[in-house]
Amino acid sequence: MNLQEQIQHDFRKYLAHENNDSSEIFAQLRHKAIAEFEKTGLPNIKNEEWKYTNLRNISSLSFNSSSDISNNAKKLLNENSLNAIKANHLVFINGRFYNDLSNIIENDKSIIISNLETERKNNSVHLEKHFGKYAKIEGEGLNAMNTALLNDGVFVYVPINQKVEHPILITNIVDATEFNVLSQPRNLILVEKNSSVQIIENYLSTGINASFTNVVNEIFVDENAKVEHYKIQQQCGESYQNNFTQFFQNTSSNINQVTLTLDGALIRNNLHFYMNGENCNSLLYGFYLTEKNNHIDNHTRVDHASPNCYSDEKYKGILKDESTAVFNGKIIVHVDAQKTNAYQRNQNILLSETATINTKPQLEIFADDVKCTHGATIGRLDDEQLFYLQSRGISKDSARRILLNAFADEIAERIKIPELVQILEAEIEKKL
Amino acid sequence: MSKETEVDIIDQVVSQEYKYGFTTDIEMETAPKGLSEDIVRFISDKKNEPEWMLNWRLKAYRHWLKMEEPNWQNFNYPQINYQDIIYYAAPKQKIQLDSLDQVDPELLKTFEKLGISLQEQKRLSGVAVDAVFDSVSIATTFKDQLKEKGIIFCSVSEAVKEHPELVKKYLGSVVPYTDNYFAALNAAVFSDGSFVYIPKGVRCPMELSTYFRINAENTGQFERTLIIADDDSYVSYLEGCTAPKRDENQLHAAVVELVTHDNAEIKYSTVQNWYPGDKNGKGGIFNFVTKRGSCEGKNSKISWTQVETGSAITWKYPSCILKGENSTGEFFSVAVTNNAQIADTGTKMIHIGKNSRSRIVSKGISAGKSHNSYRGLVKINKKALNARNHTQCDSMLIGNKCGAHTFPYIEVNNKTATLEHEASTSKIGEDQLFYCNQRGIPTDVAIGLIVNGFCREVLNQLPMEFAVEAQKLLAVSLEGSVG
Repeated sequence: MNLQEQIQHDFRKYLAHENNDSSEIFAQLRHKAIAEFEKTGLPNIKNEEWKYTNLRNISSLSFNSSSDISNNAKKLLNENSLNAIKANHLVFINGRFYNDLSNIIENDKSIIISNLETERKNNSVHLEKHFGKYAKIEGEGLNAMNTALLNDGVFVYVPINQKVEHPILITNIVDATEFNVLSQPRNLILVEKNSSVQIIENYLSTGINASFTNVVNEIFVDENAKVEHYKIQQQCGESYQNNFTQFFQNTSSNINQVTLTLDGALIRNNLHFYMNGENCNSLLYGFYLTEKNNHIDNHTRVDHASPNCYSDEKYKGILKDESTAVFNGKIIVHVDAQKTNAYQRNQNILLSETATINTKPQLEIFADDVKCTHGATIGRLDDEQLFYLQSRGISKDSARRILLNAFADEIAERIKIPELVQILEAEIEKKL
Repeated sequence: MSKETEVDIIDQVVSQEYKYGFTTDIEMETAPKGLSEDIVRFISDKKNEPEWMLNWRLKAYRHWLKMEEPNWQNFNYPQINYQDIIYYAAPKQKIQLDSLDQVDPELLKTFEKLGISLQEQKRLSGVAVDAVFDSVSIATTFKDQLKEKGIIFCSVSEAVKEHPELVKKYLGSVVPYTDNYFAALNAAVFSDGSFVYIPKGVRCPMELSTYFRINAENTGQFERTLIIADDDSYVSYLEGCTAPKRDENQLHAAVVELVTHDNAEIKYSTVQNWYPGDKNGKGGIFNFVTKRGSCEGKNSKISWTQVETGSAITWKYPSCILKGENSTGEFFSVAVTNNAQIADTGTKMIHIGKNSRSRIVSKGISAGKSHNSYRGLVKINKKALNARNHTQCDSMLIGNKCGAHTFPYIEVNNKTATLEHEASTSKIGEDQLFYCNQRGIPTDVAIGLIVNGFCREVLNQLPMEFAVEAQKLLAVSLEGSVG
């Protein structure tokens, strides 16, 4: 059974149970999503957006939906270097929420840090208002697949005028010790007026089998709210990931988003911002380090739908071995989104003869009073800079390390949680 | 500047009429409407082509039948009815002419109206003009002078007869008929075009030029240009176009192929000012052209310069395949769109040879309700050691209903490559306008100055005779007093 058949099969299985749970608020959405999935299917390279990323390997896999987890997963969780951060910790393994492994330290009861399943059982008004409203499924086969079979994920609600004291750390583990695993987390984060929150998404994996993590994040940021969002991807082995994140911003909201991709056989990130009100700030930064025959694809899209908004994007990558990186940045300035300022940069260093980079910084502008620039550079380590350092008695190896660290520093600077910076630095040290 | 004057000026700019709209009444010999194998045979027969040429056309036609029209572009155009086009139209002039005196005076008048009188050109600028009036070349000047140097400059139909070995070797070698939908169509029905061969070690003593002109109603133009520069040679080729006013969309699907051998250089400049349609986008030319050059030899160079101001839709990507070691590709472009015009243009630089270099400078200006896209590909192959590319694409927006888009594709498979891509989009600078106004320069002149300055980098690449015309065209397209 290939993936497409499996999804349809799983959906029929879900339908058989549906009667027990006909009040489910997601039911209608699921039906719409499966219809869309059957129509659109999995993306293939004929789709311009997927030109450089082939899901062939994934679509032929068959997955097992066993709920057993091995000790490996717990071990991995205990050794997780992010444990050093004092945070509200939510743990998901193979897409299921583990309450006993999680730890919420926030005292304020008005702030909800929980999982989707609990919230659904509580008949939450928030779900009705926001769920499925931002991440579109039309023409997005993978989003439709996630929505049709949605199971669980994070639910965060920060009410008006609140600051969440400690970061929210979401650890997603896939445990492929015994079987191929399909995990489809679905997260909904709502930040109301004048509130602020820090979120860290961490992706880990264990086991020798294949895994496919298909995430959909919907993040609603209301007026004047502030969100810091960090994503760390370090799944190893034969692990595949598609990560769709949609930010929906109202007037004067601020977002600082950093994506760090350190490992994974194939990763596709879709990071979308929609500026629904004026004076929004969106900062998006990314760093990727690829090796072996890894494939990392960052697709970003910033919709400047309102006037006077600002966006700044910078993605940097270091490529080793036979790895491939793809960057596609899209800035769309809608009609009448005057006084838009949008910046976009993609810089790459190739360390091996056989690495490949495909980059496409793209602008689509429908308003005239705008300032938009984009740029892309691709190169190797500068021989002159290396020589400069060597001529001052620094070994070639150290010189390389200094230059690469300096290259990555620009992104590291954007991370406001010191522990995260250390992890990034340690990881670069290890890989180079 | 007050809001009101700004609006006035934009209105004025937008309401500029196409100045070169007129038709010439000359008897035509035409093929019946529509496309079939018989029409392909008819065209080939009319031109007295040898068997191999006909077979090539038929192969292309049969391949075209199997192809589908592309749909990835960033615009829509009304469906083209390929059965509603006349594929062959020739002015009734069958005698070979030696001097301009023998040319139909009506024709000469047409050229004069365009300000490109052949005599004038001949006398003043030393340009050899191969004027293509609709489909058949009618006058070729300076031929003798070129002959002395061994340069072949003639129409493709002539070349088929007189230099079949060269045509056989090179025709379709850069743009095969399987390349794309419009290239296949062109290969099947191409009417005529220019053929240039520069022998080894020859530097062409003058700028070669062809003026294209679409004239007969419902006549698609399918030009085919082939330029070959043998070892150590150099040629600069100019292509310029104006077309009379028309209400129905006319398809123009030309193919241009360039080949350079060791140490050779071709400089290809285009000024395009075909009828862009009226203010609402009715009528106008569809300019769907395939242009590609192949740097076959070491140290060879191909340079494209284009100034695109006309056509309802301009859809073309002059490209360079950099096969030779140390070969160089260049692309300089100004694309101006106004009213409902659309431009989807850019270039492809395919790096295959070691130390190959390429440079792209693209300037897009959109006004009115027009949309201007830059779409480009820079590809560095595994074997292209030390390849170098620099790309710069800037867009300027005039008015708040137009759009500017960039789709740059960069594909790198080699760590020794160094690439830079820069792009910017901005409104015509308010402070720049203010600076000019404050010094007594009226706004419309100031817009002209700024636009000209914005494009300078590209205009400087044009040969002198063309630079003047290009500036005039910018003026016609955007504002009465530009330049």
